[in-house]
Amino acid sequence: MVNPFQLEATPLFESDRVSGATLLEHTDIMHAHQVSLGFGGTTIMQDISVGFPRGTITALIGPSGSGKTTFLRSLNRMNDKVRDFWHHGQISLYDDEIYSPAMDPLVLRRRVGMVFQRPNPFPMSILDNIVSGVKAHRMAKHSDLRDIAETRLAEVGLWSHVADRLHDSPFRLSGGQQQMLCLARALAVEPEVLLLDEPTSSLDPRSTEAVEELVHRLTPGLTVIIVTHDLNQARRCSDNTIFFYEGRMIETAPTVELFTRPERAETARYIGGELEPTGGPERGSP
Amino acid sequence: MASPPGAVMPPRRVGNGGPSAPPVILRRRRVTNSLWWGICGLGLAFLVAPVVWILSGVFQRGISGWRWNVLWTGPAGLGGGLANDILGTLLITFGVAVIAGIVGIGTGIYLSEFCRPSIFSTVLRSASEVLSGIPSIVFGYVGYLALVIGLHWGFSLLSALIVLSMLVVPYIAKSTELALNQVPLAYREGGEALGMVKSYMLRKVVLRSAVPGILTGLVVAIAISIGETAPLLYTAGTNGTGYPTGAFLHSAVPYLTYVAWADYDSPFPGQHALSHDAAMLLVVIVIGLILSSRLIVRATQRYSPNRALAAAEKGWRKRMPRADTKPEVDHLFGREPAPSDPDELRQ
Repeated sequence: MVNPFQLEATPLFESDRVSGATLLEHTDIMHAHQVSLGFGGTTIMQDISVGFPRGTITALIGPSGSGKTTFLRSLNRMNDKVRDFWHHGQISLYDDEIYSPAMDPLVLRRRVGMVFQRPNPFPMSILDNIVSGVKAHRMAKHSDLRDIAETRLAEVGLWSHVADRLHDSPFRLSGGQQQMLCLARALAVEPEVLLLDEPTSSLDPRSTEAVEELVHRLTPGLTVIIVTHDLNQARRCSDNTIFFYEGRMIETAPTVELFTRPERAETARYIGGELEPTGGPERGSP
Repeated sequence: MASPPGAVMPPRRVGNGGPSAPPVILRRRRVTNSLWWGICGLGLAFLVAPVVWILSGVFQRGISGWRWNVLWTGPAGLGGGLANDILGTLLITFGVAVIAGIVGIGTGIYLSEFCRPSIFSTVLRSASEVLSGIPSIVFGYVGYLALVIGLHWGFSLLSALIVLSMLVVPYIAKSTELALNQVPLAYREGGEALGMVKSYMLRKVVLRSAVPGILTGLVVAIAISIGETAPLLYTAGTNGTGYPTGAFLHSAVPYLTYVAWADYDSPFPGQHALSHDAAMLLVVIVIGLILSSRLIVRATQRYSPNRALAAAEKGWRKRMPRADTKPEVDHLFGREPAPSDPDELRQ
């Protein structure tokens, strides 16, 4: 597939810095070209051009208020409903511009799923939660729903815990299990890209590890873009890392490179722990 | 938050309660505290006392002369039964529940979910508020002039339904709107992120968790419409002595409140007793309505976070097998997470 923005995109592919999974796949599944975002008179993000190679995990890092969550949310148009949201530039899924009138946001969100900072199961049974998206998109026959739920729960490693309580309330699960449930729900509609907005910031270390392990297992079948506040998490589980600072993309590189030999001074300072003014976890939605 | 490297930790302090305030201030605090408790308690007493008084009065008078055949015999001379009035009241109530329920819940959903803040929505909201402030007797005579006389409907079921529905729609709309506004944003975002169509998400996710609020508004509205007399005098008629025909037009409908009102000072003991029976039946119907709405709420809120929380607390107390999993639901309501240790919770 020809990507019109490939050449001017990112420094990812132009040198021998490329490593690991990025070598396997040269197609960007999603691509941002000179994207600027904001609300009303405020500009959140300026002139972002970046690609997300298919089958990789990309971490978005940066201090609180650097706009990484806003950027992530515009990748599946979750900002559309926010008042006074505006954007310039192009964001594409393969070759399709996602903000074009031809793109149905509902289809886009099925293909580009999202999991949030805090687990948000629906107030329905565990089984219904898993298949809620499948039902909404009429992706399966009614008789297949239970099998789908079992497959997805097994995929996230929750099946043994909930097999005998599928009709129980999801809110009786622990926070980590609830987040796994949300992941399973997002995976059930078979997305091509999964956006994770600080998915482990409200979880305990063991659940965090489980989420990271799952994300690793899902690639390269799935492309994952993860906003994280935890530099160690970015280092542990991503192939590429993009560093945002004050509404601009400062640096993008394979994770190992970015953390060991950052090119820009800001990156080095952020990694060194100097750029974090508050240190608290970032609030979810704008 | 991790302390910066090299920072000196303050010495740990062993609690001895710390320095306490001087006795004078402590005493003043106690007085202020009990004053507040007193005021709140007084308010509660003012709320509960009339309920007890009215209920005991109504039931005392009703039960003393109670005959079960009141329920299935029609009016006969100066006594007889209330079967026709009960039927009429149920008919009117059911009709109002359907008409006002659909219009009110629909309006509430529109105001909360679909309309953007604009002049139109402001006008709609204030129209609704004005409507709820109009005395019911005014609804009655407007309905009488416009429907009973103006459209030549005569005393009729339809004019009663329309007037009563107009009277209670604002309550239902308001409570629906408020209930929907309180549905956690997390549910909506979750549905949106899955690519659900808005109406689908509304039906399957959002409305479900708003059911208690909507139902409470609906029950209050129906209870009001059961108890209204003034608008019915103008629209359903005062000469409804036979059974309701079921026709929408040109046929007066009997109803319990009329009996309670008109026969109360009747010189004939039969009619007198009927008015007491009617009053008691009205109260019983309203209580039954409230109880059944509770049951519906219980059934629909099986999966709500609050239910899980309550169950877990119960589990801690009884040391039930599932006590190990602590439901984490507070973030949905923007609260701080509950303490993870049940002992901490009890303190």
